[in-house]
Amino acid sequence: MADHGGDARPDPRKTAKAREVLKRNPVPSLLVDLLGDPLDPGYAEAAARPARPGRRRAILYAVVGALVAGGILGVAARVTDANAAGAESTRQALLADIGTAQRAGAELEASAAALAEEVRQANAAAGHGGDDDLEVAGGAVSVTGPALQVVIDAPAGDNGGAVILDRDIQLLVNGLWSAGAEAITVGGVRLRPTSTIRKAGDAILVDNKPVFWPLEIVAIGSPTTMAADFAGTSGYGRFSSFASLYDVQFGVNQLGQVTLPAAPGPVLRYGRVPSTTSAVSTEPTLPTLPTRPTG
Amino acid sequence: MYAALALVVGIVAGIVLSPTVPDWMAPYLPIAVVAALDAVFGGLRAKLDGIFDAKVFVISFVANVLVAAFIVFLGDQLGVGSQLSTAVVVVLGIRIFGNVAAIRRHIFKA
Repeated sequence: MADHGGDARPDPRKTAKAREVLKRNPVPSLLVDLLGDPLDPGYAEAAARPARPGRRRAILYAVVGALVAGGILGVAARVTDANAAGAESTRQALLADIGTAQRAGAELEASAAALAEEVRQANAAAGHGGDDDLEVAGGAVSVTGPALQVVIDAPAGDNGGAVILDRDIQLLVNGLWSAGAEAITVGGVRLRPTSTIRKAGDAILVDNKPVFWPLEIVAIGSPTTMAADFAGTSGYGRFSSFASLYDVQFGVNQLGQVTLPAAPGPVLRYGRVPSTTSAVSTEPTLPTLPTRPTG
Repeated sequence: MYAALALVVGIVAGIVLSPTVPDWMAPYLPIAVVAALDAVFGGLRAKLDGIFDAKVFVISFVANVLVAAFIVFLGDQLGVGSQLSTAVVVVLGIRIFGNVAAIRRHIFKA
């Protein structure tokens, strides 16, 4: 390695002798060195040195070094092989876990819906009958009626999530609400007043539940006016221009009598069990949920 | 010649014996592999250039593995382990590529 003698400025205080005493190990610019000769400079230096170790010793060095290097390569090959099998089995186990968790979630949801229905009936029996309109709007009860079905999907051969954004779907759903829809499901998930439609990667999450393409949106409402009103909304306009410009699939059909399921029981954030000093209540008490950070 | 034989023996031994790699060592194995490849191709290149030196081969190999592992270890402690691993792989990768190119020129004269 040549000394490039970095500092060219003459320094009067430094004598030639001082320069000799200051032995440095200068390194040329790392990147230049890297792109120049990749061979370890040690080989050239060793070749330039007159004294070399004996042949027997050199062979021993080389053999030991090569043995270790080969051993590392062999072990790495083995480990990579073993990891590939391990990764596959881990993937399968994770998939099984996800399936189990989803089934458990569905069961819990069904039982929550059944319990919410019980609570509703108990309330009604105790004279605290709910407001039907509010219950429909809140998604607490299943709704049957004539419906409008909207089916959206990406152009054929494309992934829906890559083309259609959550805000497009939100606009479409808001259009249905403004057209007079009384109850809406998106991908089979009944919307509540607090429902969210969000995008996570290429997937659309409705109330944190993944829904699948083609996305089917069903809205129950007046059979005579809803379709016409919906055609005048900006959501409809956006999707019809998507359909003509980008070949996005967008279909609107009238359906006959359709029953939309109730949404899972409400998640209470601010509701509390009434204190004992207030009027004695026969309502079944719901456990208070831990407050969760919103958003 | 002996070194090439020893390399093959080492690879076979590593595959056949398949020693269990302790967990703490697992992150350093890929780095060690790259350093080993660098040493092997560097040694081969030096051999073809006629300036092979066994001591330089062994010491540079061991030092490269240790330094590379230390850099990655340090990076892991500082939270930049993957970036420093990339740095090590880039540096050694360029050297491997350059040495293999030199070997290719030596053998095929092209």
